[in-house]
Amino acid sequence: MGTARVVFDRWDGRYAAAMADVRSSAVRDLFAAASRPDVISLSGGMPDVRRVPHALVEKAVRDALRHDGASALQYGSSEGRRPLRSIIVGLMGESGVRLSEDDLVVTSGAQQGLDLLAKVFLDPGDTVICEGPTYVGALQAFSVYRPRVECIECDEHGMRVDLLEEALRRLGPRGAKFIYTIPNFQNPAGVTLSPERRRRLLELSREYDIPVIEDDPYGRLRYEGGHILPLRALDPEVIYLGTFSKIFAPGLRLGWLAAPRPILAKVLLAKQGADLCGSSFTQAVAEHYMTGTAWRRVLADLTRTYHERRDAMLDALAEHFPADVTWTHPEGGFFVWVTLPGHLDTKPLLAEAVERGVTFVPGSDFYPAGQGSNSLRLAFCYEEPAQIAEGVRRIAEVLEDKLALYHAFVEAGVMPGSPGAPRQEVSR
Amino acid sequence: MNEKIAVLMGGRSLERDVSLRSGERVFGALKELGYRPLALDVTPELVDTLRRERPDAVYIALHGKFGEDGTVQEALEFLKIPYTGPGVTASALAWDKSLSKRLFAEAGVPTPAWVTFTADAFKEMGAASALDLVPEAVGGFPVVVKPTKQGSALGLARVDTSEELPEALLSALSFGDAAIVERWVEGTELAVSVLDGPGAPEVLPAVEMVAKSGVFDFTAMYTRGETEYYCPARLAPETAEEVARLALACHTLLGCRDVSRVDMVVDADGRPWVLEVNTSPGMTETSLLPMAAETAGLSFQLLVDRLTRSALTCRV
Repeated sequence: MGTARVVFDRWDGRYAAAMADVRSSAVRDLFAAASRPDVISLSGGMPDVRRVPHALVEKAVRDALRHDGASALQYGSSEGRRPLRSIIVGLMGESGVRLSEDDLVVTSGAQQGLDLLAKVFLDPGDTVICEGPTYVGALQAFSVYRPRVECIECDEHGMRVDLLEEALRRLGPRGAKFIYTIPNFQNPAGVTLSPERRRRLLELSREYDIPVIEDDPYGRLRYEGGHILPLRALDPEVIYLGTFSKIFAPGLRLGWLAAPRPILAKVLLAKQGADLCGSSFTQAVAEHYMTGTAWRRVLADLTRTYHERRDAMLDALAEHFPADVTWTHPEGGFFVWVTLPGHLDTKPLLAEAVERGVTFVPGSDFYPAGQGSNSLRLAFCYEEPAQIAEGVRRIAEVLEDKLALYHAFVEAGVMPGSPGAPRQEVSR
Repeated sequence: MNEKIAVLMGGRSLERDVSLRSGERVFGALKELGYRPLALDVTPELVDTLRRERPDAVYIALHGKFGEDGTVQEALEFLKIPYTGPGVTASALAWDKSLSKRLFAEAGVPTPAWVTFTADAFKEMGAASALDLVPEAVGGFPVVVKPTKQGSALGLARVDTSEELPEALLSALSFGDAAIVERWVEGTELAVSVLDGPGAPEVLPAVEMVAKSGVFDFTAMYTRGETEYYCPARLAPETAEEVARLALACHTLLGCRDVSRVDMVVDADGRPWVLEVNTSPGMTETSLLPMAAETAGLSFQLLVDRLTRSALTCRV
């Protein structure tokens, strides 16, 4: 029988002060508690591993045990297994990046890379620069080290490098510890940094002597347009984070971090403290998956699937969403970023969406402090096209009601400026 | 003293987190006092659990919608379980800022000039074209815009120019179907708690809040170090007296039982203005009611005991 009992944290009050700054999203916790199986989830960025054939994984596991059993079950080197690093060098080469096995370490997902970099670079009060909005997991990884986070606005071509320059001029040379960017199909905004801006970003990084962290989990999931060279291909001083989560499966927890050798040495020390070495076993499995199976065919199928779902979402948005709501057009990745006119706040709207059986993530989750309240993120990676269309339709119903209000204001001619004009922040 | 007390906390309100913190502290105090506390979240299993557990009383540590608006109170009366704090009517009146301000004004309790807008008035009646009348109606800018029914300053914004007003209203109306625009009173922010005693209700020392950001918003309210507190408030004796008189008047006017917390501002001329009444005041480590009680010599534990006793003895 169900119960409403609450279980407390009896160790509360004994945690490190740094943990006080690490908050889970109150709104998301609230609705995670209310999640039902019939709810259409447009909130989570989960790769659709249902499409990874188990037979291929079984073969990779068998091969790993048969050929590398002894080493796969043993501790490994902190850098990660050399054969896997060779495979990564090959993958990077396909993206246009030339490096050697000694320029990278295998991490437990790119997420560990973020944590290690924060550990290596950040003292409390240091400034880090990132996109606004940005990956919530990065904000979480950084926040334990208590930095000041400066967000640079994005538009459809990615981070506004003109605003970055303004910020850097204010902060001065070495005025921030690093610039964190997700150049391809950004999470959550879905936008891609243009080649011109990539070049400018690197110039500014050199000029102000602030390293760039390039987080590139979605780079191979492109559904339209041509490949754009990674920042790391243009500048060997860029720190690059890659992952097997989207080309194989996140359950293996395999990513990598490529960096200039001195930085890599520090990262390795930090990693030894964190976990001595990553999982030899999953690394060996990945080696055999990437060499002894038709993984490229699986990835092509996944890409086709995500492409269909993206189209389903964009079509549904065009069909159901009111005219004055805007959204991004992702050329790849998992996410569409939706912006409502005016100061309509999406946090309370989530409650209504959940009642109608659909979830999204309110925009303010992707900022360190309260911005983005009139935006939301939709993920198209996991649900089937029909579900996506239905979910979008339900969210549109929720929006309609609030937009009727906005329209009443517009018709009365009291909204400042025309739609899309820069808005003035109201103190709150 | 081993009555079983169910502490209601959490719930699906935007103040869930705060409520869990209030509830946990209350739970701890009840346990130390020798009661048998039971921590319950507001889930679809709540009524079942209450019927199964048959607590002697319920301590309501919920904040916001359902916990503070009379909903839970109504359910508990139906289940015949006594509970702490004000009853259904007082809760519903205090929760609706527009209604309670109307009552204050009618009773001669000073409350800043305001206008109420419902979403329907904008959608169905074109009320937006009357926004130009707002400054005159409330006595000019700045104003504060807030949802009529929402706790913890969520959706609240200070507005300095008429251009910012529509945006702020849209934001406030995202949280509910009505919002008020109220004249901004610059001055000392106070929280004045009232406790029912064996005889007449007792007004606790006023708590003065100084937000470092200038606005007493959600972050300032619940983040340590974001706000400075003075208790008792730094007021002239005659002002302190007037503040206490007004708090008591509001408590009585809305028919509050056991406890209420009246939020006020004292302007530059020393004149107090009542903003709103809270019927389920926060009980966290930065909350105002426990702070006031402490100053009056009433420990957190004794405060919880007093509220619980009252629920146990006063009614069915």
